[in-house]
Amino acid sequence: MSEIKKIKNLKEFSTSADRFEGANLLCPGCAHSIIVREVLNATNDDLILAASTGCLEVCTAVYPYTSWDASWIHVGFENGSSAVAGAEAMYKALKTKGRLKQPDRTPKFVAFGGDGATYDIGFQWISGCFERGHNIMYVCLDNEVYANTGGQRSSSTPIGASATTTPAGSVSYGEKKNKKDMLAIMAAHGAPYVAQVAPNKWKDMVAKIQKGFAAEGPVYINAMSACTTEWKFAPEDTISISDLATDSLVFPLYEIIDGTQLNITYRPKNIIPVRDYLGAQGRFKHLFTKQYEYLIDEWQARVDAKWEYLQRREEASV
Amino acid sequence: MEKKGWDGFEIGAMLRSFEGAVSGIATILPEDRPYSASSSFTASVADWRIQKPLFNKDYCIDCQFCWVYCPDLSIISRDKKMVGIDFDHCKGCGICVQVCPTNPKSLLMFPEQIEEEVALAEWPTKNTSKATTEAKEE
Amino acid sequence: MADTFELRDIEVWDGNMAASHALRQAQVDVVAAYPITPSTPIVENYANFKANGYIDGEFVMTESEHGAMSCCIGAAAAGGRVATATSSQGFALMVETLYSASGMRIPIVLNVVNRAIGAPLNVNGDHSDMYMGRDSGWIQIDCYNPQNVYDMNLIAFRVSEDHDVRLPAMVHQDGFMTSHTAQGVKTLSDEVAYNFVGEYKPMNDMLDLDHPVTHGVQTEEDWHFEHKARQQHALMTAVIPKIQAAFDDFEKLTGRKYNIVETYNMDDAEVAVVCMGTSVETAEEVSNELRAQGIKAGVVGIRVFRPFPLEQIAAALKDVKAIAALDRSSPHGTVGALFNELSGALFNTDTKAVMTNYIYGLGGRDLTKAHLVEIYNDLKANADAGKPTTPLQQYIGLRGPKLSFF
Repeated sequence: MSEIKKIKNLKEFSTSADRFEGANLLCPGCAHSIIVREVLNATNDDLILAASTGCLEVCTAVYPYTSWDASWIHVGFENGSSAVAGAEAMYKALKTKGRLKQPDRTPKFVAFGGDGATYDIGFQWISGCFERGHNIMYVCLDNEVYANTGGQRSSSTPIGASATTTPAGSVSYGEKKNKKDMLAIMAAHGAPYVAQVAPNKWKDMVAKIQKGFAAEGPVYINAMSACTTEWKFAPEDTISISDLATDSLVFPLYEIIDGTQLNITYRPKNIIPVRDYLGAQGRFKHLFTKQYEYLIDEWQARVDAKWEYLQRREEASV
Repeated sequence: MEKKGWDGFEIGAMLRSFEGAVSGIATILPEDRPYSASSSFTASVADWRIQKPLFNKDYCIDCQFCWVYCPDLSIISRDKKMVGIDFDHCKGCGICVQVCPTNPKSLLMFPEQIEEEVALAEWPTKNTSKATTEAKEE
Repeated sequence: MADTFELRDIEVWDGNMAASHALRQAQVDVVAAYPITPSTPIVENYANFKANGYIDGEFVMTESEHGAMSCCIGAAAAGGRVATATSSQGFALMVETLYSASGMRIPIVLNVVNRAIGAPLNVNGDHSDMYMGRDSGWIQIDCYNPQNVYDMNLIAFRVSEDHDVRLPAMVHQDGFMTSHTAQGVKTLSDEVAYNFVGEYKPMNDMLDLDHPVTHGVQTEEDWHFEHKARQQHALMTAVIPKIQAAFDDFEKLTGRKYNIVETYNMDDAEVAVVCMGTSVETAEEVSNELRAQGIKAGVVGIRVFRPFPLEQIAAALKDVKAIAALDRSSPHGTVGALFNELSGALFNTDTKAVMTNYIYGLGGRDLTKAHLVEIYNDLKANADAGKPTTPLQQYIGLRGPKLSFF
């Protein structure tokens, strides 16, 4: 196995030479790019990358430009996982047959997909790849909406969010269904490592990516990606919104090892009210009206219950 | 980029990041990379900006928050020091300013057209009305 | 290192077994597949070879045909020999990715064991899936029997992977009629077969870590047209000569001669049936019988369906007086695809031939010799009259009132 890159603090991390380039077409303030940088910079190993159709894909490989400094492939919306799994299978085959051009190097295989590509349309393909045990990492850039196509709801869109296909209106508070628990589903595949990460907690992210790279088998990373365009906040607030998400525990940061051992990796010193998180985003604006205000309390109750559940799971160690 | 005819492309709309072979790219800094004309590194999104961040070295503590949270690889850090901004790739989102922990901030947003010397001359002094934020690594 | 499989000079194989052995002998690096009738035995046989030490490559059993082809594309883009197999509904599920593979210029060999597409659901052989693939940008080679399947697989790798081609290729055989019908198949030794296919030569391979490559970009209105034109140019100009060269080499190696367009009894033919798959051999037999009765009957078999060999077809049919285009797929709203293709090939030529269209054999319905006799008799009447004596499109072998259009 290859050496794990030493990143003991941010100064040391900042000596990384990015393998992702600027002048991509992502929105100003897009968290996708911050996440991709943190993932890629967590290792100095060679990388073979794939992306499913979505914001990241359409903004980083628009002919005649590529923003990738490692081999990268896009096939379709649903199959970034399968594409990178195919490349991983070819790596194994050529290794067996002694035909690798650089046999002393062990690339890491990583696929990126949005929550639409992951929770919805690509779900079956991801499940297949995880069941088969490919040595790949799948990173979901979870912005809870089909942002690339203009803000339609996905099965990751949380209750009460106004999306273009579940708009808030005089008789509707927006999305009616709770967000799918993708991490639990991927853990249930018996994956050696799954984790939820957020770009504002870079050190937690890098540690988890490194654990993921060190694991043998398929690794799932659910990365919260605050979306300035669809969550409706100012581009400069991407990190502060992310802080609200992690510190309100709307996005708790934890990992599950071998499908069972759950560890909470970030405990906010001051847990802030969910109300503060919701109030900072235009997609929840309508919740702050008499008609729909009850949903904020429901939100808080759900977040509290989940946090309680996670702590008990951690304690029980099963 | 020149708009070639149909017979002038690589097959499959394939793109190369670099001219020729590059080994160990993860340890080669941009200035030493043989980027191809197809790398977006060679392109500019400067015209996306209506505001630009400017950097005042006097106050910078090299915490690297701006580097790690810049979505557009536009904070240039070398040897653990913040050395400047890449204005070809900066889209003017303002995250670097938001995450800058010094007082006064070492990065501030200014109108795109302002001269750097003018901006530096206008730089605010220490704000004592708010508690100073300590730069701590998370 | 994989064991050599000792083969007899002639093995009794069905089409599926012939395909499996060809994949094994080509030393495919990655097979990613999903089982579907009637192609399933191809991957079952292959799995069996793998389980018994005859294969060094990776074998990935995916969760769907779409996943299989997605995996194949990733594997082939990574830089090695890739193959798979499918049929029918599975082929339909794959279609999105077929366009990706060809557009990205990724060589893959796909064995398509032709089967009807529901509804109503049907597991038997017709050409609906083959026709569904005809605009996908793949090379499509058609087989008439298990021997063809074995030979065409070896040839397909060579052509598809050629750096002047770099286009994926389908090898078609008729579900059950070829895939499950055992016949004598002349074999090559593992070494000879592999040497004919040749070593895989990578190009734009993702696993060349010193040359990072981006595959699968987006091109909008200012670039897309040129890229699709470039793809069409390769399919139209490079493929037929490369197939011909492979056929020539294959003939030298084995004595078995293949042609871009197969012709039988065509030298002096007045009437000709044009068809694909197992129907070709049935038509050949009937043409011999009719010749004994004084009807100058010939057969044209399509060997290469894509790229469609327009000029070769026109040349093969230039002297006949009446032609029947036989389509084994429901044309759903127009004439059969083969009828259309032949019309395109013959229009603007000097031919005065009368051409009609027969829809036959859907869902595995037999095309009998009696049906072919009927068709040839229609053609004879058309040739004598110098104009169609029947409706343009007729259903043959169908129960109930006679069905025809145009």
